[in-house]
Amino acid sequence: MSHSAALAATIPTVTSSLAWIPLLPLAAFAVLMLCGRRLGRLSAWLSVAALAGSLLLTCRLAGPVFQGQRLALAWSWLPDTAAQWSMGLAVDGLSWVMLAVVTSIGTLIQLYSIGYMHGDPRFSRFFAYLSLFCASMLGLVMADHFVLLFACWELVGVCSYLLISFWFEKPEAAAAGRKAFITTRIGDTGLLLGILLLAATAGDLHFNQLGAIRMQWLLKDHGGLLTAVSLLIFLGAMGKSAQIPLHVWLPDAMEGPTPVSALIHAATMVAAGVYLVARTFPLFTAESLAVVLAVGLATHLLAGTVALTMTDIKRVLAYSTLSQLGLMFTALGLGAMPLAMFHLVTHAWFKALLFLGAGSVIHATHQQDLAHVGGLWRHMPLTGATFLIAALALSGIFPLSGFWSKDAILLEARHRAPWVYGCVLAGAVVTAGYIFRLYLRCFHGAASSSAAHAHESPLVMALPLAVLAAGAAVVGFVGSPVTHFRLFQLLGVPDAHEGIDLVVVGVSTLMAGAGVWLAWQVGVRHRRLLPAGLRPLGSRLYGWASHKYFVDEGYEAVLIQPFLRLTRWLSQFDHNVIDAAVDGAGRTGWSISRLKAWVDQRVVDRLVNGVAQSAQAWGRALRLMQTGWLHQYLLWVAVGVVVLSVWMRWWPEALVSRGAF
Amino acid sequence: MSVLRQLLLLSCALFCTGLYGILTRRNAIGMLLSVELILNAAILNFVVLGRVYGSPQAQAFALFIIALAACEAAVGLAIILGLYRTAKTVETDRIHLLKG
Repeated sequence: MSHSAALAATIPTVTSSLAWIPLLPLAAFAVLMLCGRRLGRLSAWLSVAALAGSLLLTCRLAGPVFQGQRLALAWSWLPDTAAQWSMGLAVDGLSWVMLAVVTSIGTLIQLYSIGYMHGDPRFSRFFAYLSLFCASMLGLVMADHFVLLFACWELVGVCSYLLISFWFEKPEAAAAGRKAFITTRIGDTGLLLGILLLAATAGDLHFNQLGAIRMQWLLKDHGGLLTAVSLLIFLGAMGKSAQIPLHVWLPDAMEGPTPVSALIHAATMVAAGVYLVARTFPLFTAESLAVVLAVGLATHLLAGTVALTMTDIKRVLAYSTLSQLGLMFTALGLGAMPLAMFHLVTHAWFKALLFLGAGSVIHATHQQDLAHVGGLWRHMPLTGATFLIAALALSGIFPLSGFWSKDAILLEARHRAPWVYGCVLAGAVVTAGYIFRLYLRCFHGAASSSAAHAHESPLVMALPLAVLAAGAAVVGFVGSPVTHFRLFQLLGVPDAHEGIDLVVVGVSTLMAGAGVWLAWQVGVRHRRLLPAGLRPLGSRLYGWASHKYFVDEGYEAVLIQPFLRLTRWLSQFDHNVIDAAVDGAGRTGWSISRLKAWVDQRVVDRLVNGVAQSAQAWGRALRLMQTGWLHQYLLWVAVGVVVLSVWMRWWPEALVSRGAF
Repeated sequence: MSVLRQLLLLSCALFCTGLYGILTRRNAIGMLLSVELILNAAILNFVVLGRVYGSPQAQAFALFIIALAACEAAVGLAIILGLYRTAKTVETDRIHLLKG
């Protein structure tokens, strides 16, 4: 980066239009919540228009962002506190990439939802939630401060919960929403702790200060603190991006409507974890990156193998998402943040397309089990073709988008750590295998009964499919030599890439081809390729994978059942001990108050009455003196005078000693 | 028996006469006259003792008391007149307006 560009990056350009990017969908949300029912079908178009407006604003920011400027808009939050607590929005290259992904894919998926959710009783409510999601996601991406990021982070979590359990009449959907919310909460707690730790130690939570904090701490030999903060932040990312071991919620989240799965649980929200790590990348030390790498790689491989065995279309895609997010974290763990973001961008396009294609199939056949679909190509050629493009892109076939991002990661892995390279190559076989098993079973092979009356989706659904397919095909070029690696320039890495390594390209294409061949042989034609001796082992591995490595069962046995036992025991304890104690205290209080009432009536009241009665008696006695007879009064006076005179005459000292005179 | 003693005895007699008058008279005017007698006894005391101790202040007090007695008689008579108008009597035993 040249000196002037570096200067431009440090001094933000104030841009007030930034606020409108999240505010437009937020306004749409408010309108839809208040009068969505009356707007009917118009509500969807309002929502789409709002997000398209955000897309337009994002495009208008492209010029300055590509020049290396950092656009910002800050306002004073908590007046009278230090300036470091101001809050604001900021757009640099990294945020802009995410903004572009969220707004463009979000607009297309909302458009698609108009067709998919047609006739749903809570049609406008769905779009209200989608708008709220987009608003909070945009806020998350544009936040220049941990506090705002965390608030939006939780908001997208809420939207995810609302949208997973959108069809809450289905008990599975309600349970899946709960599971997603609670599981991500574990990660969010980590993120919150990380933020608090950072606030307590560094005192500044602005993202553009992270580099300075890293320098300071490394100088003071506080590397351990840096590792702790970054691992806590990574825990939040693990929850949101569903990395092992917090991945269990994402497959269940497929109970939500398919556009939701496409937008939130494939393209944008689950990628927020990757974005978070990329955004806070200066905080990550070698130790924490090793953890990121291990988690990412484990998720990449394990989720990929589970995807091979799933029979539900959306669950295959869910595990595929897990696996690809794992790949992004692998890239982050290798220290190659721009590559992770690159894969995030391409993955968002082709995975959204895969989900929308799957949604199209489900919409047409009302089936989402691989056993009940097949031979759909003849009835749904557009869906089939776009799905094929997405599947090829995911497998990393030249020159589709996935190829560029995946090969960049492979190349990086080969330079940094050969064993990671081997693992990612194995992952490439698995990836191509599961996605082509899905594709071939859906669109080829024997036509199922449900395929007979399947039909191509309406235009409002087909158009986004076509646009996404075009995007999934070409979006990879932004990180390729064709455009001189524009994306990496945007992310602040002008010339890190060495070009294309033909060996890596050849090997990865070979691996993808092997995966496709295996999918055809095993997944569709049901050939038995393993030698007879290895078959028991193979079937055991298959069993493990098809049970998702028993993670859910493990959580059930290790966490949930003991927890339920504990709660039952606590309930007993509550009932037998605490309630008894409380009742006893109540009874004691009652007895004491009865005693007090007796004392009150017998002693206090009698005393009071006695005082009153004595006053009355005195009054009666003294009344006798008040005869109204003047001479009697005068007589009393005279007698008094005589008595006093006599007293003073004979005992004057008595009066003096009493102080009367 | 010195002159002083005689004069003081005279004053005492005047006081006792007045006191007796107040206690025995039923007529309000009679009581007022008895009060005058008591006041005169006091005046006589002042004058006699002032003479003995050579103090001119005592005579000043005597003059004050005479003036005060005149005022008292005026106010007292006015009250008795008012009393007579409302109660139609000056006999103090018969007046029981305040008796509950």
